[in-house]
Amino acid sequence: MKAFSRILLTGGGTAGHVNPALAIGRALGDERTAYLYVGVRGRAEAEVVPREGIPIQFVRASAYPGARPSLAWLGFLFNLLAGTIRALVIVRSFTPEIIVGTGGYASAPTMLAAAILRRMGLLPAKVYVHEQNAAPGKLNLLVGRLADRVFVSFPDTLAAFPENGTMAGYPLRRRIQKGDRDAARAALDFRVPPGRQVVFAFGGSQGARTINRALVDALGVLLPHKDRLFIIHGTGMRRGDGAPDPGADVQARLAQRYTEDQRRAIESFYVSRPFFHDIETAYAVTDLVVVRGGAGTLSEVAALGLPAIVVPKINLPGEHQVMNARALAAAGGAAVLYEETRNEDGQVVEVLDGALLADTILALAEDPDRLSRMGAANKAFGTADALEVIRRSIAGDEPSPGLPFPPPPQAEPAGGRLFSDNALLYALEHRRAASLPAGVARPGQPRAEDRPYYISRAASLLARRNWEARNLGVKLLGLLEGKEKLPLVIALLEDRRPAPWFKRLFGGDFEQVGFIRRNAMTAIARFGAVTPEVEDALAAALADPYYEVRAEACRTITALDRHLGDEGRARLIAGLTALLHDRWLEVAAAAAEALGHVGGEFDARPALLALAEHKYWLVRAAGLRGLHALVERGRAGNLDTLEQAARGFALTATDFQPEFTIRTSYGRLIRAIGARRSAA
Amino acid sequence: MIHLIGHLLEGGYRAWSFLRLLDYLSVRAIGAALSAFILVLIVMPPFMWYLHRRGLVDQMRETGVPSSFDKAGTPAMGGAVMVGALLAACLVWCDLASGYVWAVVSATLWFAGIGLSDDVAKWRSRSGNRGMSEARKLLLQGAFAALFAALLASPWTPLPAREASTLYVPFVKQALSSSWWIYLPVVFGFVVLVGNAVNITDGLDGLAIVPSAFAVSTLGIFAWIMGNAIWSKYLFFPLLPGVGELVVVCAAFVGAAVGFLWFNAYPAQVFMGDAGSLAIGGFLATVSVLVKQEALFLILGGLFIVEAVTSQVQDKIGIKWLGRRLFYRAPLHHQLQHTGLAETKVVIRLWIVSLILALASIATVKLR
Repeated sequence: MKAFSRILLTGGGTAGHVNPALAIGRALGDERTAYLYVGVRGRAEAEVVPREGIPIQFVRASAYPGARPSLAWLGFLFNLLAGTIRALVIVRSFTPEIIVGTGGYASAPTMLAAAILRRMGLLPAKVYVHEQNAAPGKLNLLVGRLADRVFVSFPDTLAAFPENGTMAGYPLRRRIQKGDRDAARAALDFRVPPGRQVVFAFGGSQGARTINRALVDALGVLLPHKDRLFIIHGTGMRRGDGAPDPGADVQARLAQRYTEDQRRAIESFYVSRPFFHDIETAYAVTDLVVVRGGAGTLSEVAALGLPAIVVPKINLPGEHQVMNARALAAAGGAAVLYEETRNEDGQVVEVLDGALLADTILALAEDPDRLSRMGAANKAFGTADALEVIRRSIAGDEPSPGLPFPPPPQAEPAGGRLFSDNALLYALEHRRAASLPAGVARPGQPRAEDRPYYISRAASLLARRNWEARNLGVKLLGLLEGKEKLPLVIALLEDRRPAPWFKRLFGGDFEQVGFIRRNAMTAIARFGAVTPEVEDALAAALADPYYEVRAEACRTITALDRHLGDEGRARLIAGLTALLHDRWLEVAAAAAEALGHVGGEFDARPALLALAEHKYWLVRAAGLRGLHALVERGRAGNLDTLEQAARGFALTATDFQPEFTIRTSYGRLIRAIGARRSAA
Repeated sequence: MIHLIGHLLEGGYRAWSFLRLLDYLSVRAIGAALSAFILVLIVMPPFMWYLHRRGLVDQMRETGVPSSFDKAGTPAMGGAVMVGALLAACLVWCDLASGYVWAVVSATLWFAGIGLSDDVAKWRSRSGNRGMSEARKLLLQGAFAALFAALLASPWTPLPAREASTLYVPFVKQALSSSWWIYLPVVFGFVVLVGNAVNITDGLDGLAIVPSAFAVSTLGIFAWIMGNAIWSKYLFFPLLPGVGELVVVCAAFVGAAVGFLWFNAYPAQVFMGDAGSLAIGGFLATVSVLVKQEALFLILGGLFIVEAVTSQVQDKIGIKWLGRRLFYRAPLHHQLQHTGLAETKVVIRLWIVSLILALASIATVKLR
């Protein structure tokens, strides 16, 4: 197969785009090939490409700012225009035989320029695109349509490029092979003491703040095991665009979390570097990696057969990192930990619990059998040779198997599809078909394995600015019974920032609106656990300005009565008794019922009997149910006098329950048929 | 039609002179009411069976076991029969040369059409929620309101020129304003508001139909006064020649409404559906405008207005914007049910309220 003599490569922003471009470029050329790389100044390609001995030229470009019109759009359009004009000149003067773009916004100007030149008949080159992610970016979707062929890494992605897509996989650089451990140990610029288990944590070329911070936090938990562990930490390079330096962030957090002595002890089993240009040497000494869920990183990890803890970035288009991580976990090669977004002092940040990370590292490190099983599973997972597919396809330019026929049916992703927030809400609310209108099928339910992910995503919603999203988050947390997020739910209830004045004018109260507080109460009832914080929250909610929160607090007390301590009950009784005279009868009724569940002969009984002539029969009925609960609990006191007193209840009511007896007859018939049928 | 035939025959032969009776509004009104009532009684039972066979058997089959405690699965679209009977009675008993009649008839048909397509969309999707979108309904209603306002401002308006743009309020003899700039927006907003208000009120058996009948009867009284030279002069109302024809239309409505109530009384065998409730809304709105009683309708149709306002306040201000409920439930009749009133009790109490409002509106005739 002939090698190409002039190859133009483009793609970047992150190393996840640059490395495939270089790998494909190397596979298509030989030592006499003239290469040119086009990228964006200050990003990963500026760092990586010159080291490969490939000349690089820069154009302007910036990331797609999202569908919403904003100021960023102006900058985006200007950069795209200026970058494309510059790229026209670069492409025209280099006269490549083929052009390979690997996506990322850095490739957009070059690809657009190539498309324009080809349309004008000024460029005979072939144009190829490689899409690494399961869900293609907006620019790659556009550029892909203009290319001769689009190579994709996941079968699902073919649907986005029905005309010219080819399933290839993720192209790994040729050099990625597990090297010799001892040689690698010698090649490193730091000493890894022999006999240690080595954990290599890194968040890609830019670093991942979630992993960096969680790892620093985890060091404290790992400290007692410093004689058998060694942590290598790739913090990530500083970006050119004024973003904070990840290395400095790590140092600052170390200094803030640990004392001088602790830091000295940490240094004996921990080393950090911004970036590993020879990542193979680091991989070679590693027993366990902690990584993000990018397709490139996971493909490398899989090809090397390294066991992995994956912390996918959530809320990305198509949740592609989560999908990648789940695929690897389903194969048995990875443990997945989910980050969540929090609102810390007005800044939205992603957070992963350091203790959770430490516990996961320790659990895996203590189980060498499991580690080797995971490694083997990963090795088996990543066998396809994407480069070979790409090279053959380009050399012969043969149509991929099956095309131009329709693309193969979309494969179900490993582990099934993910639910959107609203679909998840619907599925969980209708776990039992009884809650659905007649004739509507029960929705499919989320898998138990995905529960941690959904809980993280629901918790992330609590950091959002619009209250509808926060409300959805708290509802989902309750339905998922995400008890581990109880502190976040309580924080919502404790957040008493007032709503803007114009909302208060119409009856608004707090930033965390009434529905959020009510649903936080419901969630706490579902969690089914009582802590001192929960008792505080319940007591505060009984005095909430919004009636539904007060009523829901009463119902939550009823639901949790078994878990309440004596002291907790005593605290709540006073609040409940006061609510028996609430202006909102729904509250009074809920309070009466709750009182029967937590009170006794001396407090609840007289208060409930005093409802005998309450104006609303709903409250009188609730009083009777409360007394019933007292009797059932054996806390009603003298039963003779209670029976006497209960006679004083006014039993007239303004409502009744109709029964359409023909429907009852029909229902009996249908049930009888069902019973006979299942017996036969 | 009978009006026309009567005229032709009467003119030709002396023997037919008793047909002069057909000139009397009272005779034609009673005839219209009775014939609409009887027509509904005759047509509704086969129509309900038709609805049952076409629309609801499927649902019942999928349902398996229906609840013994609710009425889900009751045929809707009964309003179509009511509207049909109303139109038939109008065609037979009204003076078809009257612009007033055609304005009201076209409003009723237009709104019934919107409601019918909504009912059919709900039936197709087998869900009470997925009918026509709210925006689309409003757009179609707004289109009619605009056309209607344009008609009033055009040379083809049935109203006399000097009264075409006047706005009257209760208790005041003179017109409050006669500026088109004020009147047209008022008419537009009024038609859209009232057009929807009955739809929102229609949630319990008999709740929409009886107050509508009270309101239409009252408007009929106003139409009779303002179309009558003596009475309008005596009561200081502007004379609107020919508006008396609306008495016949209102009577036909009341007849059809009572016929519908025959089947809709608790527990209902048939619901009016949007086809009925939107049509009633369009009817009430146009009649009120044509007898110059837009402002009075705030009292006369106070029940409908409160139902519409509570529903919008709860939903748009409370639930969507503030993130809380401002009432237990909305609209008003659900609020009352939530506080522990049975459906029958809510309905009868609101009938009483609407009757009192109708009487109060009639009282404003003299209190001016």
